[in-house]
Amino acid sequence: MNAPILAGDSITLALGGRTILASAYADAVPGAITALVGRSGSGKTTFFKILVGERVADGGQVRWRGAPLTRPRLPVLAREGLFYHPDRAWLARHLSFNDHMALCPRDGWADVVEVFGIGGWTGRRVGTLSEGELRLTELSFGFALQPVVAVLDEPFRGLEPLHREQVGRGLRELADRGAAILYADHDVESVRRTADRLFSMENGMSRIVDGFKTRPLHEWYHAWPH
Amino acid sequence: MDTTRRRERTQIQAHVSFGAWLSSPLFLSYLRRFVLLWIAGKLANAATASVIGISPFSFRAGTELVILLFELGALIAFIKRDNEDILLGNVGLRLSVALAPLVFVHLALSAALAMVAR
Repeated sequence: MNAPILAGDSITLALGGRTILASAYADAVPGAITALVGRSGSGKTTFFKILVGERVADGGQVRWRGAPLTRPRLPVLAREGLFYHPDRAWLARHLSFNDHMALCPRDGWADVVEVFGIGGWTGRRVGTLSEGELRLTELSFGFALQPVVAVLDEPFRGLEPLHREQVGRGLRELADRGAAILYADHDVESVRRTADRLFSMENGMSRIVDGFKTRPLHEWYHAWPH
Repeated sequence: MDTTRRRERTQIQAHVSFGAWLSSPLFLSYLRRFVLLWIAGKLANAATASVIGISPFSFRAGTELVILLFELGALIAFIKRDNEDILLGNVGLRLSVALAPLVFVHLALSAALAMVAR
């Protein structure tokens, strides 16, 4: 197994007296799709926000290529090859996908449009797209940036089966090109099909799950001691 | 440097250049909004200046700074509301760097207006 490029280690956070994260760990390794699975409110989104510097942790460490980061910042990490897909729309609604491509490297993927099947709406304003079309467009743009690490918060949320398949194919393609992918989901069956590695998060704590593709679900999902 | 590191180095350098940013549709859309904010700021300033009896369009450094802060503050609020700071972050641009050219736009427009109105 390759060494992680990005890792959040022993991350803790409390807000308003409530513990959101209590020693959470997850990492992203090159060439693999790593999923972080957990119920809504388990702390996945907050953990991702801390990884990319949208939020500051109370304790723990974010490490980039093994070195701890004093204060992670998205623009700095992006220049090092990180792509972050948050759980909310983030492309400019008044522009089209083609307009956004002016911000991509010239030798960016020529095939993202094909991989994600977005050819039908690359000239339409992002604000006019359906949720599924928007998600595919966001991921296409992100993958055209040729990331070394992709941190994706619920990339499958709200997608119809065809779009789910296209996103899954895109993730695999990116991982096959050597990128490290870390994504959050709460659909365990989808995770079983898509992921190579799995962390499970519950009550702000996480653990790695072995054998998640074959072991019965009840043995590992939500089987946390309370 | 091994092959992987070399490939990654190439990717790092491939992020948006400042020239590409300035000619991108996204920056041009910010520029349009900024000019509208500049007009609004100037009109408000001119109205206030008329009330207190000073030249409405002359270039006063302190006033220009206040208007500039208003324009940038409003534009940043729009950008953050639409999560476009994430978009800028993903292409390796800090908000401060991305919007820095607008400072010169403000100064140029205000100086030109002051000269015309003299």
